[in-house]
Amino acid sequence: MTAVAVPRRARLRALVGIGRMSAQSLITYRFNLLFGIVSALVQIYLLRVVWHSVYHGRSTVNGITLDVQVAYSSLAAVQAWLLSPGLLWDIPQRVRDGTIAMDLLRPVRFLPQAFASQVGGVLAMLPFAVVALPFAVLVGGAVGPASTPAFFGYLLGLVTGFLISAILNLIVSMVSFWTLEIQGMLMIYRIVQQFFSGALVPLWFMPGWLHAIATVLPFQASGYTPLAIYVGRVSGGKAAQLLVEQAAWIVVLWLLLRLIWSRALRRIVVQGG
Amino acid sequence: MHKRSGDIKDPTPTITSRYSYGMALIRVEDLVKEFRRSERFPGFLGGIRSLFTRQYTVTQAVDGISFEVDQGELVGYLGPNGAGKSTTIKMLTGILVATSGICEVGGITPWRDRERNAKQIGVVFGQRSQLWWDLPLRDSFLLIKRLYDVSDADFRATMKTFTDLLELEEFIDTPVRQLSLGQRMRGDLAAAMLYRPHILYLDEPTIGLDVVAKERIRVFIEELNRAEGTTVILTTHDLDDVERLCRRIMMIDHGKLLWDGDPESLKRRYAPHRELVVRLVDPHEKVAELGLAGVSVGDAAEGATTIAFDPQQVAAADVIAAVLARHRVSDISIVEPELEPIIRQIYADRAVAL
Repeated sequence: MTAVAVPRRARLRALVGIGRMSAQSLITYRFNLLFGIVSALVQIYLLRVVWHSVYHGRSTVNGITLDVQVAYSSLAAVQAWLLSPGLLWDIPQRVRDGTIAMDLLRPVRFLPQAFASQVGGVLAMLPFAVVALPFAVLVGGAVGPASTPAFFGYLLGLVTGFLISAILNLIVSMVSFWTLEIQGMLMIYRIVQQFFSGALVPLWFMPGWLHAIATVLPFQASGYTPLAIYVGRVSGGKAAQLLVEQAAWIVVLWLLLRLIWSRALRRIVVQGG
Repeated sequence: MHKRSGDIKDPTPTITSRYSYGMALIRVEDLVKEFRRSERFPGFLGGIRSLFTRQYTVTQAVDGISFEVDQGELVGYLGPNGAGKSTTIKMLTGILVATSGICEVGGITPWRDRERNAKQIGVVFGQRSQLWWDLPLRDSFLLIKRLYDVSDADFRATMKTFTDLLELEEFIDTPVRQLSLGQRMRGDLAAAMLYRPHILYLDEPTIGLDVVAKERIRVFIEELNRAEGTTVILTTHDLDDVERLCRRIMMIDHGKLLWDGDPESLKRRYAPHRELVVRLVDPHEKVAELGLAGVSVGDAAEGATTIAFDPQQVAAADVIAAVLARHRVSDISIVEPELEPIIRQIYADRAVAL
């Protein structure tokens, strides 16, 4: 038989196709999207009230002005919603109902499929995030980027932050290959991820020991890091260093994901799931 | 097939296909799949104990089966629940890795080269779907076109054929989650064959479908096999599927191949008697013994008498002539044996010496 290996370009087109399908599936649930935006706006407003009360007339706390702090929490909420783990390509569900077998039968490998799906999901949410942004500024607040390099650093940080959170999502959902009781664990993961990403409280307001923990964990990449660059809290060499660290995290986490996937695959194909 | 002599590992004779000549499309030899399940101890403390002890129970889901399938065959793969059918299909498709033995599909060991294998096979599992749940059926087809790199022209031509054959038109723009089971199944079949693979694996494709939907699916499979020479391997519990479609039956139980041959010889082997049902003009009259070898006259029930005869010993025409010579007959008919009771009996016996 003459079965030909899939050429690279065709494979890329296939992955784009999968991403697009995920995007379309996501948009099917319009009300989910709407409620996501509304809850982000509620969070922005509540945090604004809290920070106003915390500052209590002082112009800066810890070197951070109220305006910067409110702008931070507004952007962080939109960002967290955009990159939310709710975007998980539902691996646990696919394992439970056996769709995973169909995924394995595709002419494209599983991990690229799962990853393409995550990229598609975020790209689908992006226009909605852009539309939500003025509202976020309205109920919260905004400051411009600290500088032009800070703005580009922010965008770069967002991309690396997305990659890290996407890989982490996949790693965590792979646990479903070993146990179907994964909901509780996912909940804990979401809370830990949200807190240490700095989505609620920025790392600069965390006590020393907590700050130290948050700094060594990869979660800050999807929340705190890009925003700290945006508002100019870190800049120049320090900002570059953070971005390099993120790149290193991507490599490490990707290797970890591949290791876990190869174990998971072994489990499916040898033990029959 | 070359059977190795003096193989001590497996003293039971393996059945090899009598259909093998030249290069087979699918070649399976001494295929074994063992599952190791870790032992679970009952209760909470037992649960903790299970975490630390490594005790396994080993089950042989597929226990040394061999067969070959040639291009264009339409094979029914039968067996009771848990016999090893799905495990075999999963190895053939590359989802499962075999414990030992040879499995080659189009020259490829499926699980070693999943991506290449994916392009030459279409798979439909009755219980699960490859379609995108939230999107119109059409979108799934377009994705498959991309995934398998189908050219625009081929895609259009195939879609046209399939739309006619499976009557997809009325629901192709409906989201998959809103389709009836029969419609979804037709969608899945079209999806599995869109890139024109040489081989189609069907795992219970008609499960839970009504008569009309079943018929559409059978016509489609028949047509693919006839017009394109698609090789089809079909597992099913619906023996009408088999009677209608398959020219070869493989039967498996406890992981071993029990039978490999055409349906007619299966019937001849396990149901050697044909039946003649006779109605007499006088309902009180009894059919007399005919005095022919291989013929036995049964009791009359509701005015009809069943006469069983062995076609190897006596011709149907002779039996009929003998009856007509003795009685005034109002109706007479020959009943062909059906697969259903035969298979049921084989399952019940479980161990059949061949």
